[in-house]
Amino acid sequence: MAEREVTATPFQIGTELPRARQSVFSTRTTTLALLLPALGVTVVFLLLPLAFLIFISLTKGRTFFSATTTFTLENYASIFTQFLPNLQESLLLALLATGVDLIFGFPFAYILIRKVRYRDWVRAFMIFPMFGALYLAFGMYFILLPNGMFAPFIQALNKNGIQIPIYGLQSVVFAMSIFTFPFMVMNIGAALSNVDPKLEEAARCLGAKNWQTFTRVILPLASPGILAGILMCFGWNVGAFAEPLLLGSVAEQRAMALTLYNRGIVLFDYGTSATMGVVLMVIAFSVTYFSLRYSRGALVE
Amino acid sequence: MATNSLSLPTSKPAPRTWSFSLRWTEILQHAYIIFCCIIFVLPFIALFQYSLQKSSIISLNNVIANYSYVFGSFKDNLITSLQVSALAIIINFLISFPAAYAIVRYTFPGKRFLLSLLSLSLYVPAVVLGFGLVLTYNFGHIFIGSIWGLVFAMAVGTYPLMLTPLIVALKDLPPSFEEAALCLGASRWQTITRIVLPLIGQGIAAGVLLSFIIIFNEYLVTLFVVGTAPGLTTASLRVFNLVRTAGLLNTTAALAATMQIISFVVVLVFFRIIGTRYLKGTYLI
Repeated sequence: MAEREVTATPFQIGTELPRARQSVFSTRTTTLALLLPALGVTVVFLLLPLAFLIFISLTKGRTFFSATTTFTLENYASIFTQFLPNLQESLLLALLATGVDLIFGFPFAYILIRKVRYRDWVRAFMIFPMFGALYLAFGMYFILLPNGMFAPFIQALNKNGIQIPIYGLQSVVFAMSIFTFPFMVMNIGAALSNVDPKLEEAARCLGAKNWQTFTRVILPLASPGILAGILMCFGWNVGAFAEPLLLGSVAEQRAMALTLYNRGIVLFDYGTSATMGVVLMVIAFSVTYFSLRYSRGALVE
Repeated sequence: MATNSLSLPTSKPAPRTWSFSLRWTEILQHAYIIFCCIIFVLPFIALFQYSLQKSSIISLNNVIANYSYVFGSFKDNLITSLQVSALAIIINFLISFPAAYAIVRYTFPGKRFLLSLLSLSLYVPAVVLGFGLVLTYNFGHIFIGSIWGLVFAMAVGTYPLMLTPLIVALKDLPPSFEEAALCLGASRWQTITRIVLPLIGQGIAAGVLLSFIIIFNEYLVTLFVVGTAPGLTTASLRVFNLVRTAGLLNTTAALAATMQIISFVVVLVFFRIIGTRYLKGTYLI
């Protein structure tokens, strides 16, 4: 009875299994300790800078690092007076790019999900825009050059009187929409693939024509994903930096992200650029919040 | 008189069907997909073509000249990029694995809120994050001129991409494996290193891949955090600076093309070997 038999019949009465080693810490401490690195990094490197931004946006000019810190709300006022064109430009660019994405991305996602077998190849091609907007803008620049790839095409258009300038709204919007195209396609694709094909077939059996099935069955069921795609693309495009810089004319160079950089890093006007940062942050967060809330978990796992 | 025979209707032999139909709508759809795919790759092809040239002439000498410039003068930048990526990926893993383990294996209130909080940095625009970090570093006088400032900036921007595949992988791992190991006498540390980590290896690889892609090609946060600090210019920042100052150069195009090729090869190898199961919930799938 004194010996523990653990080899032959472990469930025999009078024997014990070897005791699993318990931790000396309680579960709550362990959980907290496990979460601490991630939370610590988030707090120090994400929440603290964001709090700083809000704090500095309430100071004036570059007074933050000097002896006298003056607090003022006029930075926010200046956003809506002096920098209103910048804000409008950013929103306009983001809206246009998201619109282009939606118009071209929805058919793409639909065909990709429903009709095409070589999905993996297409996915491989879709990776390219995600590497960075910088390469897109850079490459777009090369494409539109007079002696670039499209030279004969562009010259033909020039002869017909249509000018395609390199710098301008259309190049910037085109580059921005290519960058966020994969996000739109993936969101819409996920939503479309969650639509049960049986529902479609049922609609067809009951006599609905193709476009009726589309507008009354597929579209409402996929609308959370479409909304998520639109909002995600908008959120990404609001912070566009490289495309307006490299491809934009003077009008597009007023985009908010560029102004933030110029004011903050080049001119050291911390107050104004912190305010712009806060505005951009508010736009991005509210867009994300609405997308998560109204798309009914299309993004949340 | 008509015979009431129930004879089977004589049917013609079934018409021969093609294996794919060639209706014009389907051709149009496939053409649209291929057209869009070509547009995706077009900037890369333009860059690549330009990197093969010197004064619009494509010849082997020019190719060698341009690309040797990449590995000669830009070598430091590439090495810095790889260093930053490696360090940031290690930090990502070190902070994400405990958090993923806690989220999957333990119960505590507020899990959804915690997950949203931990995924927050993906939704912050890069300019905002970069500028905030510049202010924080300057105010706290930390990480000035050191590579760790950049590493932590990258880590905080990409650790959700490591967290999500780890959570998926840990959810797939039945807890009975760990319980069996603990019952058989392994310590916690042994369980984790010998049982858990090997079995979630694919999830770790997915996280490494996603983090690498983003960090290797990130220029905006680098622009803010590094600025003009010497010795810390990553390759993508170098491309950005060169484009802004020197304009169109074949060598810059060569560097950009090289970086895209490296990223693409890494992604392709990953898709071939590991597949796409752990990329759910992230942007790549």
